[in-house]
Amino acid sequence: MLDALRDAWDGLNGWIFETLVQPALYAAGLMEWAEDAFDWINFALFGLLQVVIIYAVCRPLEAWQPVEPRADRRSIRTDILYTLLTRLGLLPLIAFVAFSSLGARLSGLVAESGWVPPTLETLFPILREWPLLALGVYIVVLDFGEYWRHRFQHMFGWWWALHAIHHAQRQMTFWTDDRNHILDDVIGAVWFGGIALLIGVPPGQFPIVVVVLRLAEAMSHANVRLSFGRVGERLLVSPRFHRLHHGVLGSGESGRNFAVLLPVWDWIFGTADFRRDVFPRTGDPDLPEEMATGGWLRQQAVGLRRMGAALFGRS
Amino acid sequence: MRPFRPFRPSRSWALALLLALSAAAHPVRAAGLVYVLNSGDATIQVLDAETRAERRRIPVLREVHHLSLTPDGRLLMVGDSGANEMLFIDPGTGEVLRREALSNPYHLGFSPDGQILTITSLRRDQVDIYRWTGEALELVKRLNMPDMPSHLAYSPDGKVVYVTLQGTGNIAAVSLETLEPLWSLDVGPEPAGIIWHNGRLLVGIMGSDHIAVIDPETRSVERTITIARGAHALFPAPNGGPIYVTSRVDSRITLLDPQTLAVTRSWKIPGGPDCISIDPQGRLWVTLRWQGRIGIVDPETGRMETQRVGRSPHGILYAGSGGAAGDRPAAPAP
Repeated sequence: MLDALRDAWDGLNGWIFETLVQPALYAAGLMEWAEDAFDWINFALFGLLQVVIIYAVCRPLEAWQPVEPRADRRSIRTDILYTLLTRLGLLPLIAFVAFSSLGARLSGLVAESGWVPPTLETLFPILREWPLLALGVYIVVLDFGEYWRHRFQHMFGWWWALHAIHHAQRQMTFWTDDRNHILDDVIGAVWFGGIALLIGVPPGQFPIVVVVLRLAEAMSHANVRLSFGRVGERLLVSPRFHRLHHGVLGSGESGRNFAVLLPVWDWIFGTADFRRDVFPRTGDPDLPEEMATGGWLRQQAVGLRRMGAALFGRS
Repeated sequence: MRPFRPFRPSRSWALALLLALSAAAHPVRAAGLVYVLNSGDATIQVLDAETRAERRRIPVLREVHHLSLTPDGRLLMVGDSGANEMLFIDPGTGEVLRREALSNPYHLGFSPDGQILTITSLRRDQVDIYRWTGEALELVKRLNMPDMPSHLAYSPDGKVVYVTLQGTGNIAAVSLETLEPLWSLDVGPEPAGIIWHNGRLLVGIMGSDHIAVIDPETRSVERTITIARGAHALFPAPNGGPIYVTSRVDSRITLLDPQTLAVTRSWKIPGGPDCISIDPQGRLWVTLRWQGRIGIVDPETGRMETQRVGRSPHGILYAGSGGAAGDRPAAPAP
């Protein structure tokens, strides 16, 4: 069954590449990028699959037990646009490919010195023999990295100016996960891809790590009155856990519940709030209205303007 | 006294006889192992060449692309370029004997005397020249090259190694005596595979549809031979057989006459044929890069059977059952 699915997947990927992309690269004299382009198609297909999986899991949950009615459909449509741009767009791929090349060039410089950088598996040889354990470790390490990126998004004024777009949404649904400033996405991709390269995530496992974290993130934004219980809330980020982060009190530096997948980081660093009966309204009344209800372009412009103001000290 | 009973062969006798006759009719069988480097999912698959069943799957850290047997055939070296690691494998069993930290090994090949191993680093724009002691590698020179050094070939006297530079459309000649570049030549867009053949260098021009025939004495492109779009790598069959050329855009394998270099046949091989290894029966084991499969091609008919492997399979090697010595492909490292 799995083999058949994989065969079909590779067949589709190969067909698109051979029929559409490779001839175009050849005609444009860009054949040295053929292998990267092949990976890009896989990534775009993978993005599409993510959207389908997330929709199939989250939409029924939202219909089953919503926290609030879906009143602002225009705002949800904007979030859908964000999702499609992110999942099917070039950003994460550009970051991974660009930083893969940059990483290789940097290690080329390092190689000049005669020193060869270690990877997670060279530091912990047992991980070589246990790929699933290695996958688990990669996910934990990357999730830890995401926790701290999220903390920094709230900590630094210029970064919060960008991230505030994400928090301005008053009609939070699973589509809200990708509602980010494009510059914030670039920084996030560099951060995530950089850590992945640093610890040596094998290319075959990278998409699995991405889908696990993305599914968790989308689910945590879902408009569903769902808590994972006393123990579960401490093991995995639930919609309840993350909704509290999106409440008014979660904004800015004083926020709570920053974790993406594992609440343990909030627990360790004293930012957790495990009250299971709290489902606050989302959004931040201190933010400009266009950040909440403006279109994609308007939100991007306002985010950039606010970041400039934060950096150069003008309000 | 027991009555005489005429000999009536049982079913098992008949089966044994049939098998024996079958073996006699096919004296050379493809026993041994086939190594497939799955560059896209960080594994090396070891297949039984007879049954094609997977015997072993070796996890690697990042990306495996090319491989080479040591000159004595005792070791198989596989470069994991992204992980900065070289794997040393027993080619007869598929057992990983050791791993060594080594800078970005992409393509690799031993000099004709077996003393030198040259490694290209596609992404780092470097060519590393190592001395091979029979057991260990010692880096003797690291050369910074123009964009994307890809495949390599040696002159038969082992004095020069030639490297294709995909990013600049050149080949570079490097002296193995002085360890310095000698010259470079514009050969066409995105040159990939390169072999030495009858005093000439044959280069697959991936950004075009032909092979460039280069005279290294005059340092000029003597002529071109049209193959198919995306001409990639070249693999001479042993014992004066044809030269097989893969083309990744038109997905073809083209056969060249080894004397005249005339195109004798061309087979449609869907899936982006890349590297080839030839078994003792003359069959071609081909990685089909864009379909996650390998093809096994009958050299007489061009008929191909395919088998699923990992994602983006690149390097491939048939290794005979008694170690690889004697069954080594005639081409430089595929």
